Amino acid sequence: MGLAVRSRAMHDITGSFGDVLQRQLELAAQNYELLKGKGVRAINVMGAIGSGKTELIVCMAEKLRERRLRVGAIAGDVAGDDDYQRFRAAGLPALQINTGDQCHLDAHQVGHALEDFPLPEVDVLFIENIGNLVCPADFPLGTDMDLVVISVTEGEDMVRKHPKIFAQTDVVAVNKVDLAAFVGVDPERIAADYRKVNPHGKLVFTVAKNGKGVEELLSALGF
Amino acid sequence: MHEYSLAQGLLGSLLDYLREHPVPGKVKKVHVQKGELVVLSEWALKEAFSILSAGTELSGAELVIENIPVRVRCPSCGYEGDARYLVEEGWHMAIPILSCPQCSLPAEVISGKELAIVGLGVEETPAEAKS
Repeated sequence: MGLAVRSRAMHDITGSFGDVLQRQLELAAQNYELLKGKGVRAINVMGAIGSGKTELIVCMAEKLRERRLRVGAIAGDVAGDDDYQRFRAAGLPALQINTGDQCHLDAHQVGHALEDFPLPEVDVLFIENIGNLVCPADFPLGTDMDLVVISVTEGEDMVRKHPKIFAQTDVVAVNKVDLAAFVGVDPERIAADYRKVNPHGKLVFTVAKNGKGVEELLSALGF
Repeated sequence: MHEYSLAQGLLGSLLDYLREHPVPGKVKKVHVQKGELVVLSEWALKEAFSILSAGTELSGAELVIENIPVRVRCPSCGYEGDARYLVEEGWHMAIPILSCPQCSLPAEVISGKELAIVGLGVEETPAEAKS
């Protein structure tokens, strides 16, 4: 801790008073260690509202179960348990986190959810974040991989409008590409924008409703 | 809109610090380093800090925010230094690129994700006002 006097009246004190995002990293590291200890591979699924995160998770879970992997899901929502009910209806062990108006999941909330989740029953855990392309970028959860899901119905400019989350996320699904012609969107333009902000990332076109592209997405996620 | 929760984090850590390390006067400025990968409105962070600090010993203190450019390290080719920034017409924001500027493989972030208090500007309490 240095102390330097700038004038008779003002002191400048320099030093380390704590990094609030570093604390998030530490909590995320605890989650990561817990998941590794249980042999669970976790994916943080971020993305826009209505982009098809839940449907895509259910579709990926079906394909992973064909490979004899056991899959579970945590649903993060401001309120309600609609996504939790969808996961349960698909036969997945599931748990709901309601953030009570918080716009993102954080490692602290997920840590508590992991205490309650039946981790020995799963090999893969999808954690569906709040529908938001801004705030979740600042809050690592301790997962192995991050995935951002957008859909063509949100428009061609999603990467340009939210560049930082795409720059930091190495796997992106552009969902509902079967609707592209109906909404006048060229998915290749989304892909071109993504390549600019993340030259080493992988972007996959998907249709969660019929499974198109989902094997390729799983491959991009390392499965 | 997570500026309030992060401002609360900054405020809490600083109040904890001041309890253990009293300063000789009133804190007027709080110097904060904010990495350029952090997705945060400076204006909202300052506003949140101002509102949340009201009624504490930090009431009226100004957040002074210094932006920290992104630096990366490449595990593949060994590059260590500034990240490349993408500047596109009409995007209105320079985007830090986390691929290695030399070999284009994924790079690790060395700096640019921080939100940390690094200094205080303290106005000395006049001697006659001290008890």
